[in-house]
Amino acid sequence: MSQTATYHTTVRWTGEHWGHLVMGNGPEYQFSAPPDAHGHAGVFTPEDAFVAAANTCVMMMFLWAAERLKLKLLSYECRTEGTKRIELDRTEIFSRLRFAPKIRVSAGGESPDVVEGRVRRALQSAQKYSLVANSVKSEIVVQPEISIEE
Amino acid sequence: MPEYLETTVDKFIFRVATDRLYSPEGVWVMDAGGAAEVRVGLSDFVQQRNGDAAFVHLKPVGTRLAAGDEFGELETIKANLGLISPLAGEILEANQDLDLNPEDINQDPYGKGWLAVIRATDWEAARTRLLQPAAYLAVIRAQAEAEQDSP
Repeated sequence: MSQTATYHTTVRWTGEHWGHLVMGNGPEYQFSAPPDAHGHAGVFTPEDAFVAAANTCVMMMFLWAAERLKLKLLSYECRTEGTKRIELDRTEIFSRLRFAPKIRVSAGGESPDVVEGRVRRALQSAQKYSLVANSVKSEIVVQPEISIEE
Repeated sequence: MPEYLETTVDKFIFRVATDRLYSPEGVWVMDAGGAAEVRVGLSDFVQQRNGDAAFVHLKPVGTRLAAGDEFGELETIKANLGLISPLAGEILEANQDLDLNPEDINQDPYGKGWLAVIRATDWEAARTRLLQPAAYLAVIRAQAEAEQDSP
């Protein structure tokens, strides 16, 4: 199935190293670069947005996969770290995205090993079907902590 | 190990095992050795088209089927798919290993991912209505290209 959908954002320079961002889905943010790239602390940055896009997308896809795999999800929390590499020619790339999800699931009377297997499959599917994770060139590493509770 | 025909559409490679027959819906059928006993499963195209398998629900052993009846349902991460019997007969065996390892359908659709064994009511007549591998390859190529071209 080859289908398309489009999403949009609009940015406007507001002076010095500042900008204003309007998301297609509604929210608006003041933004800058991070302090290590001649920007400002405490505001939305492209670097955080990139990592957040991957982190949020994988989480939403995990929630979907967990529903399809009939997992009784108790909690999900994931710190994701993007590693920037500065190349020889001074270009920059996010060479790696490391996801560290902490997931708690109820066994719900099933074998914990069977349930853990389904959690791992949900994680694999989340990465495979995440629009953003599927679109980036970065190496993606997932290091989960999975807890199966009675 | 079966041999395969292959077709590539965009970045996708679809394989068709040459040692069996196919329904237009992508259920493969091969002789299972016993009298009129056939093994059935899903083609590589169908498994790729529907995504990662989550659960397989097969009708119980002993269920009698007409051609076109559903003999089960596949739930994937992306879709629910009714499994259409390519022939009339009776379910003799369902692949119980798929309960714990439904991903076999994706990883080995022509081997460990088989679905059921059916005793065909009239295997000789049914096989004349099924597609040869080359004909099925043409069907999936046309389907995949039509989907690629759709707006």
